Amino acid sequence: MKVGLFIPCYVNQLYPQVAIATLELLEKLNVDVYYPSTQTCCGQPLGNSGYEDDSKGACQLFVENFKEYDYIVGPSGSCIYHVKKHFDILEQTPDVIRVRNNAYELCEFITKILRKTNLGAKFPHKVGLHKSCHGLRGLHLGSCSERMDAHFSTEENLLNAVEGLELMSLNRKDECCGFGGTFSVFEEAISVKMGRDRVQDHLDSDVEVITGADHSCLMHLEGLINRENKPLKVMHIAEILNKSI
Amino acid sequence: MGREAILKSVKENKPTLIPLPMLDLNNFKEDINLLEEFKEKVKLVGGSLKELSSSETLENEIKKLYPNAKEIVDCSNQSTSLATVTISEGTNPKDLQNIDLAIIKGEFGVSENGSVWISENTFPIRVLPFITNDLVIILEKEKLCLHMHDAFSLISERERTFGVFISGPSKTADIEQCLVVGAQGAMSLSVFLF
Amino acid sequence: MTHADKAAEFNKNEAKVNWHDKALWYVREKRDKSAHGVIGWEHIRDVASGIKANVLSNLDNYLIEFEKNALNNGIKVHWASDAKEHNEIVSKILADNNAKKVVKSKSMLTEECHLNPHLEAQDIEVVDTDLGEFIVQIAKETPSHIVLPAIHKTKEEVDDLFQEHIGTKPSEGNPEYLTNEARKHLRNKFLNADAAITGVNFAIAETGGIVVCTNEGNADMGSHLAKVHIASMGIEKIIPKEEHLGIFLRLLARSATGQPITTYSSLFNKPAEGKEMHIVIVDNGRTEQLSREDFRASLHCIRCGACMNTCPIYRRSGGHSYDATIPGPIGSILSPGKDLTKHSSLPFASTLCGSCSNVCPVKINIHEQLYKWRQVIVKDVKQPIVKKSILKVAGGVLANRKLYNFSGRMARFMLKYAPRFIVYSKLNAWGKARDLPEVKGQNFDQWYKVKRKNNG
Repeated sequence: MKVGLFIPCYVNQLYPQVAIATLELLEKLNVDVYYPSTQTCCGQPLGNSGYEDDSKGACQLFVENFKEYDYIVGPSGSCIYHVKKHFDILEQTPDVIRVRNNAYELCEFITKILRKTNLGAKFPHKVGLHKSCHGLRGLHLGSCSERMDAHFSTEENLLNAVEGLELMSLNRKDECCGFGGTFSVFEEAISVKMGRDRVQDHLDSDVEVITGADHSCLMHLEGLINRENKPLKVMHIAEILNKSI
Repeated sequence: MGREAILKSVKENKPTLIPLPMLDLNNFKEDINLLEEFKEKVKLVGGSLKELSSSETLENEIKKLYPNAKEIVDCSNQSTSLATVTISEGTNPKDLQNIDLAIIKGEFGVSENGSVWISENTFPIRVLPFITNDLVIILEKEKLCLHMHDAFSLISERERTFGVFISGPSKTADIEQCLVVGAQGAMSLSVFLF
Repeated sequence: MTHADKAAEFNKNEAKVNWHDKALWYVREKRDKSAHGVIGWEHIRDVASGIKANVLSNLDNYLIEFEKNALNNGIKVHWASDAKEHNEIVSKILADNNAKKVVKSKSMLTEECHLNPHLEAQDIEVVDTDLGEFIVQIAKETPSHIVLPAIHKTKEEVDDLFQEHIGTKPSEGNPEYLTNEARKHLRNKFLNADAAITGVNFAIAETGGIVVCTNEGNADMGSHLAKVHIASMGIEKIIPKEEHLGIFLRLLARSATGQPITTYSSLFNKPAEGKEMHIVIVDNGRTEQLSREDFRASLHCIRCGACMNTCPIYRRSGGHSYDATIPGPIGSILSPGKDLTKHSSLPFASTLCGSCSNVCPVKINIHEQLYKWRQVIVKDVKQPIVKKSILKVAGGVLANRKLYNFSGRMARFMLKYAPRFIVYSKLNAWGKARDLPEVKGQNFDQWYKVKRKNNG
C-alpha cells in the first residue's frame, strides 16, 4: 500500500509540527508514506470564495501529484472534503476519480482502512474535541447532532483509546467555530463571536487541551485563546495520537 | 391574467418527471399503549385530560372544572343539561363572542401529538372551538390512532368541508420566547375520555 | 450595507447577541428532542424531500388539478404572476365586497409582496393578528424570523410599544399581561373585520383544499368570522395527496418549535354557507427559480425556520442583518434569485458548516447551494478589485509550485519579522481579535528534505 501524504498549505507553512506528527504516526503504523514535493493546495480557499474556476489549476496539480498513490491521506477534514466534493469541476478522468475516491482524512484512514483505534498513545490530560464541520457533516466522520442516527465518532474512538486521556463533554457537541476560510475576515465580527463562544464552552467543560482533526478551526480558536490569554492549549489530534506511541 | 403565463413557465422550467416516493408505514410501527401516550401528549401540549370512571358523570366533572361558566354551548350529544345557549347553522358567528364554554365531540385522537380531530359535522358554526373561552372535547377512549398517517387514512372518506386537528389550548411564545397559554383561540382545552 | 456590516452592528451589544443565540439554540434543542421521539424521522425527511421533488417536476399538472377541485368546492381561484398582480387581485376582492377592515394571519408571501402598504394606501385597515407579527407591525418593522417574527424584541420593548399603541399599563414586560391585552385588542378586530387574509401551509392537488397551521388560533378566528377569506399561496405549496399531510404535519411543528404538531391544523375544503373563499396562486419569481437546476430545490421549503434556529451566524447576527423577506440560510439561497446584486453578500454569510441542510425537514441542500451561489456571484456581480485580484493571483500561485514556495516563504517571513503594528493593522481583519500563528523555524517542506530521503 503506497500512501501519498497530503499536507495542507497552511499546515506546511505555519504548523509543521502537525505535519511531522502525521507523518510519524503513519510511519509508526507501518504505512509506506510518500510526500510529493510539488504539492501546493487543494483549491478550497478559492472555491469557497466563489473563484472555483480559478482553482482548476491547483486542483489539477493536486491530481497530478497524487494520482499514483493507493491512498491520499491528510490531517485536514476540510481539504479532503474539498477534494472529494468539489473536484467535480475537473474533467472526470480515471485519475481524477481515483484521487477523489482514495482521499482520506487521517483519523478515518486509521480507523477505516488500517482498522486500528488503539494506537498505544499516552496523554494524561482533559481534552475537548472540536468536531470540524466539513469532517463531520461533509465526510461523516461521526454522527451529527441534527440527525436522528445512532451515535458514533471516529475521533472519539481514537481519543478514548489514548491512555490517561479524559474526553470532556461539551454543551454544544458540534457547533461551528466560525472559521470558515475567508469568512473569518469578511465576517470578522461573527467569526470572532462564534470562536469565543466555542472557546468558552471548552472552558466551562473543564478542558485543558482542545483538539480536532482540522487545524484551520484550531488556528482560529488558538488565535482567540492567545489574544485573550485563556488557560487552554491547542493541539491537532495527530499530535496527541503520536504522543509516546 | 397570470394563469396561462404561470403554467407555461412551469412547464418550460420544470425538470423531467421524478416519481412520487412511497411511504413505508412499517417504518413507523411502535408497540406503545395508545391511551397512555395520548394522555401524556395532551398534557405536553398544555391541555388537561380526564378519564371518566364509572361512578363519574360527564356533567358533574365538567361543572367541577368550569364552575363559573355561564354561557355554554353543548354540541356533544351526550345528553347533558349543561347547555345554556343553543346554536344552529343559521347562527351569526359573531354572536358567539361571549361563549364561556363549548363542548364538542371529538372524532378521534392522535397519540403521537395529543391532537383531536373535530369536523364541521359535529359543530354547526366553524368559529365555535376557537372563539369560546374554554373548550371541552369529549372523546371515546377506543378512538385513538398512533400517528398522523393513520389519522389521514381515518378521514380519507369524509365529506370535506372544514375540519381541524386541535392540540391543546391556543398559545404563543412571541414575547421573549415565554410560553403563554391563551392567545387568540380558546384559553384552555380539556379532553374528557369515556 | 452588507450582511457583515449589519452583523457587526448587531454584535456591538454582546449581551443581546448572547440572549438571541441562547433563545434560538433552545428552540433548536427542543426540535432535537421532539424529532428524537419520532421513529423513522430520517425516513420521513427522505420521503418529504422526494414528494417535493416530484411536485416540482409535475407542478403544472398539480396546479391545474388543484384549481379544478377547488373550483368544484366553490372556492374562487386567482393567479398572479408577480407581487403587483397579487396585490391588485386582493384589492379587487376587497373592493367587490366593500371590505375596509382586514385581519391577516401570518403569511410570508404577503410580506414578500408588500401587501400591507399597498392596502393601507387605499385606506384599508390591515391588522396582523399573529402576536409576533402584530408586535413588528406596530413597531413599523419587518419580521426578523419567519416563525418567531419578534424574536429580536425584548419584553420591555414590547411593553413600551403596547403602552403607546393599545394603551396598556406599564408591566415591566409581563408576557402574560401583554399577551392577554393583545388578545382583547385583537378580538375586537376579529369581530369587526370584513375580510380575513391567511397564508397557506399546504395546498392539496387531489382535493383542492388548503391547510393553515397556527398556534394562536388567529387564522381561524379571522377566516371564520369575516365574510370573505382570502388565502395567498406560492405555487410551490402544492402537495399531491391529502395523505401526504401525514408526513408534512409530522415534520413541520417539530422542526419549527419542537411541538409535536401546531395547536391548530385547519383543513379548509369548502367555504361556509353564505361566505366566500378565495385562493390566490402566486409565481413572483418562483418559476424562474424552478429553471435553475442548482437552486430549484430551495422551492421545497415549508417555512419551518429550523435552519435559522440552528444557524450559528443567524443566531449571532439577527434576522434583520439579512435585509430580506426571508432571512437566514434558506433566505440566503432564495433571495439572490430575486435580486442578485442586492443580496450578493448573503451566500457569504455562512461558514458552510452544513447544519442547516441537516435540520431541514425536506432536506434542501442549503449549504451546497450557498457554495454554488458564490460561484455565480463572483461572475455576475461586480466584486471589490482587491478581493478579486488577490484570489486570482492565489489561483495562479497555487497552481505553480515555484511561485507557491516563494510566497509561502514570504508569508512566513512577514509573519515572523514584520513589526506588530503592521501585522495587526486595521487592514488585517484577522488580527483585530485574534493572534496570528507563531512562526516556527522551518516549514514542513524544509524539515522533510532534511529528515526523510524517499521524497516522492
